Amino acid sequence: MNIKKITKNILLSLGIFLLAVVLSILFQKLEVGEHITIIFMFAVFLISLLTDGYAYGIISAIGGMLAVNYAFTYPYFALDFNIPVNLISAIIMTAVSILTGMLTTKIKNYEAEKAKSERERMRANLLRAVSHDLRTPLTAIYSASSILRNKKKMLTEEQQDVMLKNIEEDSEWLVRMVENLLSITRINNEKIKIEKTSVILDELIDSVMTKFLNRHPEQKVTIDIPNEIVVVSVDPILIEQVLMNLLENAVFHAENMTHIILRVFASERKVIFEIADDGCGIREDMLKDIFGGTYGTQNNSADGKKRNAGIGLSVCATIIKAHDGEISAENRKDGGALFRFTLGKEDSAYDE
Amino acid sequence: MMNNKYKILFVEDDSNIRTVITTLLETEGYQVIWAGTCKFAQGLFTSHQPDVVILDLGLPDMDGMRFLEFVRRDSLTPIIVLSARSNDRDKVRALDAGANDYVTKPFSTEELLARIRMILRNYQHRADSGKLPGGKFQVQDMVIDYDARQVFIAGKEIKLSQTEYNIVALLSEHCGKMMTYSAIIKGVWGYPDEGSTKKLQVNMANIRKKFGVKPGEARYITNELGVGYRMNGDNADIQDS
Repeated sequence: MNIKKITKNILLSLGIFLLAVVLSILFQKLEVGEHITIIFMFAVFLISLLTDGYAYGIISAIGGMLAVNYAFTYPYFALDFNIPVNLISAIIMTAVSILTGMLTTKIKNYEAEKAKSERERMRANLLRAVSHDLRTPLTAIYSASSILRNKKKMLTEEQQDVMLKNIEEDSEWLVRMVENLLSITRINNEKIKIEKTSVILDELIDSVMTKFLNRHPEQKVTIDIPNEIVVVSVDPILIEQVLMNLLENAVFHAENMTHIILRVFASERKVIFEIADDGCGIREDMLKDIFGGTYGTQNNSADGKKRNAGIGLSVCATIIKAHDGEISAENRKDGGALFRFTLGKEDSAYDE
Repeated sequence: MMNNKYKILFVEDDSNIRTVITTLLETEGYQVIWAGTCKFAQGLFTSHQPDVVILDLGLPDMDGMRFLEFVRRDSLTPIIVLSARSNDRDKVRALDAGANDYVTKPFSTEELLARIRMILRNYQHRADSGKLPGGKFQVQDMVIDYDARQVFIAGKEIKLSQTEYNIVALLSEHCGKMMTYSAIIKGVWGYPDEGSTKKLQVNMANIRKKFGVKPGEARYITNELGVGYRMNGDNADIQDS
């Protein structure tokens, strides 16, 4: 456990305990002193609940017991264990603290376990979806190239061109898929935290946009980022992947889209990224589970290009979750889709 | 393309890629010699003295880095490294060991050709690449006056801070070469410290704004996040890949 956490626990315990003392003095003054034990009991319960482990709860239970015994019960300002009432309240307080500690530890463990299995489930889904989706373009490339080799003379030049173009498109698609796969493997080990470095927002956006415009030189993108320096602590390769996926998602899946807006703004603690387009928007029934990895698999056959939407988006969700951020999707009022994700902001104090 | 029979040493063990790239380069008018192992490449390099080396780092007999070091022991022949995307450290390591540039696999053929052209152009005029008489440097519509420590774009002076000027000047001296963060930091501040990459990035962001370059435009300087920066030579088509 690190020092920061310990300090936080100690301060929290002391704060609650002092509050209990102040309240008790007040009660004493108001001559409703019989409730003082209850106050300390409640304080011990709160401390056990809010701190990590048992130690703080037990120590405050002992402290509370001594305080009640010493200051607030007869004989005042003296310790006396002969009076059975004092002893009983001491035992009860200690028991409460231990039981609360046990309970909260159990809940915390349960929640961690649940989150872990959730992540695990997501990743398994993702890998399944990816491997499923790898087969289709591979088959297309494989058959197109064998036809070109074996039946070349039977094909018109036009037909050959179509085959070659398909090979090229499917290879490009495979490249994207492999990039996404690599991103998943970068965060696949649950125990190892992703490697974060401080990145200046301008540089992140510039780098992503350079790559994006290389692939889609004609695409209009309006960029709206803060003028001041914003620092985010991220794995830059992974966040580049998220931005790339969301931008390309608009290119490939937003029908009739002409314009993408990439907007970034910072609040006190967060940096919020928004990618909006003026395309066809997202079907309402798809919105709910859009990051779950199933989007696009149902309408696979209608348009082959639809297929990677789900995977790209669930990779985004996995990456953002690994950064402790949030991601969401919605339809804009005036048409088109909007994807939004948040990242923690780093203190950007900087002097040259 | 008629008279550019530059000799390219292509070090790559995969025979399919070798066939494709060799064909590509030959149709572009280059002469290609090929090596599938480090050992063989060393022999070819010594006997043929190629103009450019294209090096895949994953070779069967030893790490491609060893060949890189072998070449750099007594030669400035430009080297383009082929690397996998997932490993920024490999790229940085190769660049710091003297590679001039890298291309990430899988790359488009245009991308590779553009890099080769840019490297050859800068190598050709190594001594005075972009430099004009009187201590000036020009690339596209940007002029750097080294004596006056001034930078002009389309004839208009751009007011840079000392640090910003130093960075731009350093990149221009190595025009066409991908400079890693640590190489730039060493050249500008003299020593690396905690947060110096952040400091560099802040300066680069300011330079881009002062130059009036939109994010993603990469007009004068190309930004490879996690790796470094490169001043682009007079090669507009580097962005068309």
